[in-house]
Amino acid sequence: MTGSNGMGKWRKSLLYWLLLAPLVVVILFPFAVMLSTALKPPEEIFVFDPAWIPDQPRLMNFVDMWSATGFGLALANSLIISGSSVLLCLLVAIPAGYAMARYRFRGQSGYRQFLLITQMLSPIVLLIGIFRMMAALGLVDRHWSLILAYAAFNMAFATWMLQSYFATIPKELEEAAWIDGATWFQSLRTVFLPLATPAVAVTAILTFVNTWNEFVLALTLLRSQDSYTLTIKIYSLVAAAYRVNWEQVMAATLLATVPVAIIFAWLQRYLVRGLSLGAIK
Amino acid sequence: MPRKAALLCSCATMGAIALGAVALAGSAQAQTEIRVIASHYSDQTATIFEGMAADFEAAHPDIDIVIEDVPWGSLQQRLVTDVAGGTAPDISIIGTRWLVDFVENDVVASMDDYITPEFKDRFIEVFMDPSTIDGEVYGLPVAASARAMYYNEDLLEQAGIAEPPATWDELKAAAEKIDALGDDYYGFGLQGAGETEADAYWYYSLWTHGGEIFTEDGESGIASPEAVAATQTYKDLIDSGLTQPGVTSADREDIEALFKQGRVGMILSGPWMRGQLAEEAPDLNYGIAGIPEGTQKATYGVTDSIVIFADSEVKDEAWMFLEEAAFSDKWRTEFTLKEGFLPVFKSVAADPHFADDPQLKAFTDLLPYAQFAPLVPNWQEMADTTKSALQTIYLGEGEVEPTLAAAADKINGILK
Amino acid sequence: MNGTQFRLAWAMILPSLALAIWIIGYPIYDVVMAATHEVNRFGKLRDFVGVANFETLIADPIFWGSLRRTFVWTGGVVGGTLLLSLPIAIMLNDDFHGRGILRVIIMLPWAVSLTMTSIVWRWTLNGQYGMLNEVLKDLGLIGQSIEWLATATLAFPIEILIGILVSIPFTTTVFLGGLSSLPGDIYEAARIDGAGPWQRFINLTLPLMRPFINIALVLNIIHVFNSFPIIWVLTQGDPANSTDILVTYLYKLAFRYGRIGDASAMSLVMFAVLLVFTIIYARMAMRESKEAAAQ
Repeated sequence: MTGSNGMGKWRKSLLYWLLLAPLVVVILFPFAVMLSTALKPPEEIFVFDPAWIPDQPRLMNFVDMWSATGFGLALANSLIISGSSVLLCLLVAIPAGYAMARYRFRGQSGYRQFLLITQMLSPIVLLIGIFRMMAALGLVDRHWSLILAYAAFNMAFATWMLQSYFATIPKELEEAAWIDGATWFQSLRTVFLPLATPAVAVTAILTFVNTWNEFVLALTLLRSQDSYTLTIKIYSLVAAAYRVNWEQVMAATLLATVPVAIIFAWLQRYLVRGLSLGAIK
Repeated sequence: MPRKAALLCSCATMGAIALGAVALAGSAQAQTEIRVIASHYSDQTATIFEGMAADFEAAHPDIDIVIEDVPWGSLQQRLVTDVAGGTAPDISIIGTRWLVDFVENDVVASMDDYITPEFKDRFIEVFMDPSTIDGEVYGLPVAASARAMYYNEDLLEQAGIAEPPATWDELKAAAEKIDALGDDYYGFGLQGAGETEADAYWYYSLWTHGGEIFTEDGESGIASPEAVAATQTYKDLIDSGLTQPGVTSADREDIEALFKQGRVGMILSGPWMRGQLAEEAPDLNYGIAGIPEGTQKATYGVTDSIVIFADSEVKDEAWMFLEEAAFSDKWRTEFTLKEGFLPVFKSVAADPHFADDPQLKAFTDLLPYAQFAPLVPNWQEMADTTKSALQTIYLGEGEVEPTLAAAADKINGILK
Repeated sequence: MNGTQFRLAWAMILPSLALAIWIIGYPIYDVVMAATHEVNRFGKLRDFVGVANFETLIADPIFWGSLRRTFVWTGGVVGGTLLLSLPIAIMLNDDFHGRGILRVIIMLPWAVSLTMTSIVWRWTLNGQYGMLNEVLKDLGLIGQSIEWLATATLAFPIEILIGILVSIPFTTTVFLGGLSSLPGDIYEAARIDGAGPWQRFINLTLPLMRPFINIALVLNIIHVFNSFPIIWVLTQGDPANSTDILVTYLYKLAFRYGRIGDASAMSLVMFAVLLVFTIIYARMAMRESKEAAAQ
């Protein structure tokens, strides 16, 4: 590219930054609002002509918020539910992805279409049915209802991603291990899995984020304050409450999003790689 | 095994079995559990109920009360799904208007078996009516409120208004003067949005213009000439710029916040505002007066009821809890005082805290004119239909009469 | 393909099949049942009523309004996302100063859940106390505060914009993946042949990116069609149902009004719409790849 010339690169950088500046502003604006509101004492929130910088910044808001809203418990719930659903999802998707990538078998295209259909059926369409089924099983308000539902709905995407990635791992490597006398399981463990790890990691992260942020299923299946995930807990702070403590809501949102944002930032290049290999179908 | 050891062993075993038996028997006998859901009125609600539970448990050591605090926004759904899933609590507070659906589906238990005439007599009659269906009592009123007009004394004074407005015409005049005080000041706060009572805000106008939500033949009354007049009054205020901007995005919290900041002259609200004002805006000089009259006085009486669920296995104990603790004079006074509601007990009403409170007078004076939300099934959908129609009118996207007529038709359809 | 392999393959896909059939299959059956019966608000099925629930839906103007708005919503969000994400991806694929930071920033909306983004925007858009009005007034762009969420004319486009904002990260990532897989030498060859940047884009980049654009299109449409949190948190479909799309109206019907039969009927309609779209799309894609292969 023309970039061998240093001046060219600077000019290009400037141009790109200018073009993308509006997007950057719109993306960062809410974070600024979050930070500003989270630090304001309650008296400064409902003020006509609000200021960006609070007169008396109040870090105590975070502490108050933590205990008043049960943030810790909601955080634990989210971690348990998301972690477990990812595990369950991977547990069923990895073998399925392997089978789809390695073997040709009758019913394979049928299975592929089945996956596509389950992907199209977003939880909303089946919400009523899922809810009634979970109620009949006595799982409403229990973590398991969400864990099962999340695993099931994310399975199609996970299988698809894993399958695409697995297909790029040369079969010859495994065959070489077989020739050397390894059993199928051994070759899986020593040859395949190490190579598959990035794909599994990427899929795990994507699924984790999906379940972490999920709203409707959690809203419908979780009933008591104690079992709320973080997303629903924060929503419950603003929905039809007698009084909304915006400084606490913003503090909670900040705490809930910044760690995830950091993890994402760190891992985004792996995401790019993972999606690129998985996407062509 | 040597004799002594064997003896020791068998003694120990028997002792263990005996202990186990005692423990089992103990636990079988010990804890009858009663699960109570209290709706979240304020941060104090849970504490108050825990207090009731503690008192009751002290008198009945074999009963354990578990209190859960649930926000209003999720309460109805929570109960509906609990019932559907068979996990309903024993006792819960509900919005009285939900009672009809619950009773129709045999979800709540009739209280007639438990209520004695003396107990019933302790209640102020008008509050018992809403939870009495076909002559049977299905719920006890736990929180009662009426609505009145809060006005900002300072703003009225600045605008040169001596007395708070008593009619809608006077209100409009007052609003004009307050509005003239400056860009940041609004005459009348009008709630047009939100999940809580956006439609109710209009009923204040409807009732004071002589209209009714349902006419005597059981048809929707929201398109009657009185209703049209009531809507016209509000629309007038909006179009003349005398309300806060953004009526259709202002929920109850928004207009109450405006009032607390001293930026709006008059709003219609309930007794809870007093507590909030005392805490959040102690320097605000405000007064409470009746809702402005159109052709008559009126106010909105709202009760929340506490009910026992039909599937509960501990109904007797649950009733004991209600009678002895929740509805003892002590706790009724405590609850009503702290949460800022109106007394439902005659004895509590006579308590100096309430009897001598001049502000409460504005509410209690209106009680004789109180109207309640009608007890019909599918009320939620009708309320939403009304709210939609109003929003369309407020936004100027529909003419008053045809929009109301269409909504009335729809409601009549839902009714059948 | 031998017998053991067949059995092995099926054994490996069986768990996923079982999970899906259990969690997804039974509810499908249940929704069909509820759609064809009268159901009380507590979920008890009553009489079989055939297509009565569907007839109720067809007669409901709010249903049609929501359907129309769903198409506008989906088209707006997906169209806007694709249009913006491709140039963004092309820029981010290029080497320039501060690229890493920019990539991180663009990814941020993906990390923050839709719900929380919507909650923060709801606060920011508050007419009286929100920061947006404040900033716009300070910049002199508006004289008085605007009530952003009071009317559908303002609120719905804003919701679409927020939808685009949160969809850009995923789509950009897909495109970045695609761009990074493009072989560099064909570009060299094209440049040597005298093709300008625009021509290289149209003749090389676009066709090669076709599979990625397709994927992004399909996944986005499915996802956006069913997207609930943004509209629900910001306006809940109001004022007067004027920002309701199918999913928000579905939620109200089922969980607020207790009309479970009608809501189930609507669920089936939504599924049918998506199914039709997928079939049409798959047909088109197959025809294209046949044509491409034939060339």
